[in-house]
Amino acid sequence: MRLSTNLLKKFVDINIEDKKIVELIQEHIGEVDYSHNLRDAYRDIVIAEIVEKKDHPDADKLAVYKIEYGEGDPIQIVAGDKNLEVGDKVAYFKIGAVVPYSILTEEEPFVIKKINLRGVSSNGMMGSARELNLGNDHTRVMILPEDAPVGKPFAEYYDLNDTIIEIENKALTNRGDLFGILGISRELSAILGQKFVSPDWYLTYDKKLKPEETCLNVKVINDAEAICPRYTALALDNVRVEESPVWLKSTLIKCGIKPVNNIVDITNYISVLIGQPLHALDYDKVISNDPNTKDTANIIVRMAQPEETILGLDNKLYTLDEETMVIADSTHPIAIAGVIGGKETEVDEKTKRVVLESANFNKTSIRKTTMRLGIFTEAATRFKRNLDPKQCLPGLLRATEIIKNENWATVASEIIDICHEERDDLTITLFPEELNTILGTELTIKEITTILENLEYTVEVREKKKETWIKVTPPSWRRDIEIAEDIYEDIGRIFGFNNIPIKLPKKEIVPPHKNSIVEIKKSIREVLSNSGANESVNYSFVGTNSFKKCGLDNNLAYKIQNPLSPELSLMRTTLLQSLLLKARENLEREEEAFTMYEINIAHLNNYIAESKLPIENWYLSCIMTNTKVNTTSSPYFVAKRYLEKIFRYLGIENIQYDLISESKELDLPPYIKNILNIFEPNRASIISIEGIKLGIVGEINVSVKENHKLPEYSGAFEINLEDLVKIKPSSKRYKERPVYPEFTKDLCFEMSKETKYKDLENEIVQILEKENLWYKVECLDIYSDEKLKERKRITYRLKGSDFNKTFDDSEIKTLISKISEKIEKDYEGVRLI
Amino acid sequence: MEYTHKNLSKIETSFNKDLENLTYAELREKYLGKKGFVTEALREIANIPHEQKPIYGKEVNTLKTLVKENLSEKIQQNREYTSKPKIDPTAPSDINEDSQIYNEMLALKGSKHPLTKEVEKLLGIFSSMGFDILESRQIDDDYNMFQSLNFPKGHPARDMYDTFRTEDGLVLPAHTSTMQNRALKKFGPPPIAVVLPGRCFRNEATDAGHEHTFHQIEGVYVDKNVSLSNMIATIKASLERYLETDLKVKIQPAYFPFTEPDCEFVIGCPFCNMTGCSTCGHSGWIEIMGCGMIHPNVLKEANIDPEVYSGFAWGFGVDRLAMIKLNIDDIRHLRESNLNFLRQF
Repeated sequence: MRLSTNLLKKFVDINIEDKKIVELIQEHIGEVDYSHNLRDAYRDIVIAEIVEKKDHPDADKLAVYKIEYGEGDPIQIVAGDKNLEVGDKVAYFKIGAVVPYSILTEEEPFVIKKINLRGVSSNGMMGSARELNLGNDHTRVMILPEDAPVGKPFAEYYDLNDTIIEIENKALTNRGDLFGILGISRELSAILGQKFVSPDWYLTYDKKLKPEETCLNVKVINDAEAICPRYTALALDNVRVEESPVWLKSTLIKCGIKPVNNIVDITNYISVLIGQPLHALDYDKVISNDPNTKDTANIIVRMAQPEETILGLDNKLYTLDEETMVIADSTHPIAIAGVIGGKETEVDEKTKRVVLESANFNKTSIRKTTMRLGIFTEAATRFKRNLDPKQCLPGLLRATEIIKNENWATVASEIIDICHEERDDLTITLFPEELNTILGTELTIKEITTILENLEYTVEVREKKKETWIKVTPPSWRRDIEIAEDIYEDIGRIFGFNNIPIKLPKKEIVPPHKNSIVEIKKSIREVLSNSGANESVNYSFVGTNSFKKCGLDNNLAYKIQNPLSPELSLMRTTLLQSLLLKARENLEREEEAFTMYEINIAHLNNYIAESKLPIENWYLSCIMTNTKVNTTSSPYFVAKRYLEKIFRYLGIENIQYDLISESKELDLPPYIKNILNIFEPNRASIISIEGIKLGIVGEINVSVKENHKLPEYSGAFEINLEDLVKIKPSSKRYKERPVYPEFTKDLCFEMSKETKYKDLENEIVQILEKENLWYKVECLDIYSDEKLKERKRITYRLKGSDFNKTFDDSEIKTLISKISEKIEKDYEGVRLI
Repeated sequence: MEYTHKNLSKIETSFNKDLENLTYAELREKYLGKKGFVTEALREIANIPHEQKPIYGKEVNTLKTLVKENLSEKIQQNREYTSKPKIDPTAPSDINEDSQIYNEMLALKGSKHPLTKEVEKLLGIFSSMGFDILESRQIDDDYNMFQSLNFPKGHPARDMYDTFRTEDGLVLPAHTSTMQNRALKKFGPPPIAVVLPGRCFRNEATDAGHEHTFHQIEGVYVDKNVSLSNMIATIKASLERYLETDLKVKIQPAYFPFTEPDCEFVIGCPFCNMTGCSTCGHSGWIEIMGCGMIHPNVLKEANIDPEVYSGFAWGFGVDRLAMIKLNIDDIRHLRESNLNFLRQF
């Protein structure tokens, strides 16, 4: 919503700086996008008259003019426009003037300098409409009306000594009444503590308009009563379509509307004043396009029929459907109601007779139409915000009055007014005490009623048994007011939110509820980020390509109906998709070794039964890659090491690792099944704890690696945090270490590669558990070579000490032989040392 | 040309035959290995006459894609895609493994993401003020995103939120207010004090200042006799603690269907002492969030009696706060996962 402060000052008696007005709007009405004073932009531009015209001696396409502006000698200017004549009035840009158009479009605004064009000096410039920011024409110098006063600053003549304020439309979403200057004036007046009274033509108007000379037939039928609560219209004859006078053009330009001709401009002017969109139709075109009539303009408000089309004023052809409301003649649409007029009935220079329409359309219907057809006009912007049907008539009558005063046409019909809205005045009971509680204020009844009356509310104070309340009736244009809270807001706003003393709420001291996921995420970040891993945050969106590259099924993904691009059209089913992609990008930046992780939600197409919403789980995914290492050992083990660091920090023990190739796919939860293809089945395992399957850790699958151009040494893991938080950490209790000397013994076994390290370790631990020992088992080395082939050697280091006495050599020997016997018997292992 | 073309069709025929009989690894070796048929055919391009190169190149590439696609399909079908020997998944390291690799990886410069770091800090502050935490959903329904927040169907304010929708009609939340109704029900009856952090989405083109994906934290406070005055004081106190400085604050009117009155919270720029700098756009003020008193309809929808209770809510973008604090000039850096960026934090 753009407004001119000069126009504002015509409605409200204020004597404050424009800067202050901007501030007040910002603090009491809504966000101001920008404000600027046009005067500064038009500095050093004056009205001048051409007094001499000559050909350029050296250039066919240039003319040499002399102009006067009431000061000093005539000034010579060279111009490309050769069509100007002596006596024409122009806007003269003095040397040093800035071209207004360039202020908004160029980084360095264009400053006029004295120049030499093919040997003839030029001392300034005569501006085109575009250079003056008053239109699009930049091929010709703009010729001003004959009566333009020579020597007057251009800004003054064009009423540009004005501050333009743009209020964010979003802030006025529910305030249709603030889309006219009248509404803003009313608010500003109340903010300044002044009573505002809407002008007579807005509140009390005379409907008894009579045709002056001729009488034209207009017949209106409303077949869409439910969404067209009011339709008013009037016929005009003897219409003189011409360029609008300066005041009108100037007003529209300042409000961001392009002048067209006097009739169209006046409809837009009413919209600027009160936010009521008007529409002018060419009466003769309406009749000539209608095969069923010769002397009556038929206007029918109805829903469009499927596949009906209309050529809009924007020269685009729109195909309509049953949900679009149109204005039609007896056969076909001539306008899309409340949104855009039709080209067929457009008012142009030849128009002699006009139907002027001022109607009210339902906000929801208009919004849907603009969304469906992608048309965003000033009229639709206003109708979408719920306008007051009561202002149809004042809008129509005010336009007619100006047209009559300017002698642009004569009234040629009575007023047509089809009204279907019957809305009782809404009365809301306001309890001052409640209002003060909600706002945190101590306003008196007088203060409250004054604010409301200044905004033209009707108020009535009632009292009964020491209790006071106020009966409040909002004015008809305040269609946003429904409940007492809406009025609290008005009072808070006008009083000034910033005049409210602030105070913290009083609350019982209770600790917040535990949120396990939030806590575990924090712990994991702590561990990983302190272990060389970088946390990343990635889009939830991926493209189909990502599914192909990872061997994933894209049928399991949620698809976006309105994606920004094909690469962002699906919701990822695993965070690994993003990490694989980002690993690739970082390798391209010549990163050699890194570990990157993300904690986030991923979506598998699956719903929660009762809410019909997708199941949302938090996952931790991590990828690690190293281009420098030259090894045949699997990155599985580095990935697992990261994972174990996390488990150790969380106090989680007894983790079970089963190779994918040795696991039954049927038993796996869906999110693990989904990512199986990302891993090497012989070199990645399912992680489970206490029977809960948490995720996968391991080496990235050969083809996934290739598809992402990852180096050989690339591993990853993904675990489900919702499952992880279900696992109870083992309770840690302090145990005293024995005081007796500690023994250390290294043991080396040779066995089949198939034998699991953990099984062996468990055997050793079980044997140690039976003794009265404090002990520790460590792995020193796992070895194999070509000679050993399918066998490997594991070297353990045992440490221990007895709680009651020194554990002597013979006892150690017995213990070791127990271990060896067990391993040799059950695992076909051979003890080497 | 004739010869080579025939050759390519031959490879294709034999591949189709082998597809049934050979394992993934065998197929790979035979066709895409160093001496594989397709690899050889690719090499052959050097010997093709110049003018025929484009056609041959195209054909051989089509063949390569065909072979690759079939191979990856085979992976999915059989899961018999590797010739790599089994490892012992329970072992602490691989056979003959050099522990140097671990030490090197674990000694890299790790980092927390600046966004989550700020979120953690903010949640810590709210938690210390007694607020519960409930994280936001990333796919939600129209009821939670709009209807429960007093946006009936067709409400023009819905246009303020350029929402993504899934093909099955669900909504990607455009604000964390999508959790308000749930939070009010979960933690009710009042007193309720809860913050709702989460990822949000808006369907808008990205540039240095705009992202389609961003992070918000919403706060909700409901009790008896809660006022707008309480709201300003609460938000001010939390921001002062977060920015570790005293702040000048003001609030401006705004419009949200789910609050009444609705406001914009503005702070005096703490970076230039309100003298004007690039962070505050040389105005001395920074608009930091939307806030307001919770609309009675929103309370009612969550079975809280607005005659008895009142409350306030506020919501802000963490991206912007983090950017201001950390001097990040382009919002896109946050989700690019560029290690040069990540390692700075």
